[in-house]
Amino acid sequence: MKSALFKSSLLMLPLYGMAAPASAQETASETASGQVAVTGSVARLCILGEPSRAVVDLGQMVQTSGASVGRIAALATQSVSLPGSFCNFAGSVLGVSATALLGDSAIAPPAGFSRAVNYTATATGWGNSDTAATTNAAVDGASPDSAATGSTQPSPKLGDIEVALSSFSAPQNALLVAGNYSGLVTVTLGPVPVTE
Amino acid sequence: MNRLKFFAALAGVVISAPAQAQSASDSADFAVVGNVPAICVGGSVTEAGGIFDLGILVDTTTGFLRSDLSAPSQVLAGSFCSSRSSIAVAATPVVAQTFTATAPTGFSRSVDFTATAAGWTTIPASFSTASASNPAAIQQRTTAFSGPITVNIGDFATTGGTGLRLVADTSYRGTVTVTLTPES
Repeated sequence: MKSALFKSSLLMLPLYGMAAPASAQETASETASGQVAVTGSVARLCILGEPSRAVVDLGQMVQTSGASVGRIAALATQSVSLPGSFCNFAGSVLGVSATALLGDSAIAPPAGFSRAVNYTATATGWGNSDTAATTNAAVDGASPDSAATGSTQPSPKLGDIEVALSSFSAPQNALLVAGNYSGLVTVTLGPVPVTE
Repeated sequence: MNRLKFFAALAGVVISAPAQAQSASDSADFAVVGNVPAICVGGSVTEAGGIFDLGILVDTTTGFLRSDLSAPSQVLAGSFCSSRSSIAVAATPVVAQTFTATAPTGFSRSVDFTATAAGWTTIPASFSTASASNPAAIQQRTTAFSGPITVNIGDFATTGGTGLRLVADTSYRGTVTVTLTPES
């Protein structure tokens, strides 16, 4: 047992001996080292591509003959692309707000007429589902605004956002007052809004 | 000490990151435009096939024009204009269709009347076939309108004077024309 103890201390000695030269070298040298961390940050960013069409012109919107003359015609779906849109962070969301087309004649329309044209703006390409806003203006153009928020995009994404304008209709399918009509679609890409 | 400061600066960057996130959104607009032309539709006549049937024009005991001539109103249903508009009414006298020669002395082959178109404007448009000018035949409306137009005829008078008798003919015919015109 004693001899075993002796053996073990003998074994440890060389270890001490080897460690000594390393510390002797450090003190002998004139160099010194230190560490400097390099850091940076990337801001959270969402950028929408330039809309492929700055103005969607529906042209002449009513039927000029037949049983429904003067009432809205079947207008084709209009598409606008926002190519190369991206968010560099997870948890972004697409919002669409739409304003009904309103006639430039601001006077209240007579009975049987409308100065508003409603439609649905549907944005696709972000999150798991479409984002659709449908306007519901009254015949006199009251309450023309509508907005919708889509589902959360769970990861950073680069892609094209397509906006389709469809289901053009006049409130109560009324006759449309003559004039120029205009509406507005706004697409917003950003972080999921925090409710406080 | 230097190291301590460095970490403090780093912490500052981390804290400022959420503030930047508030402006991480972007939005894009595009306009949607269209137009509606000025349209007027006269609608359709809904009663009696669009004919004012006056029946026998003369009093069979005297040969003179009946004094009690009348015809039910005709209604132009489904009329509308999508802009400000004018309504015009025009008429031609009721004229013998078979007896086309000049009427003999003491006779006439024509009956004048006045046509009115009401419901579109405050003052009905009216046209008298006996008048050389009919300034009231055109009336303006400043707003779009949709509604029935009621057309009436009346004030019948023998062309040439009440002392003339009408020549016999199985068909006397006149017309009433109502015109809606969009105005810009």
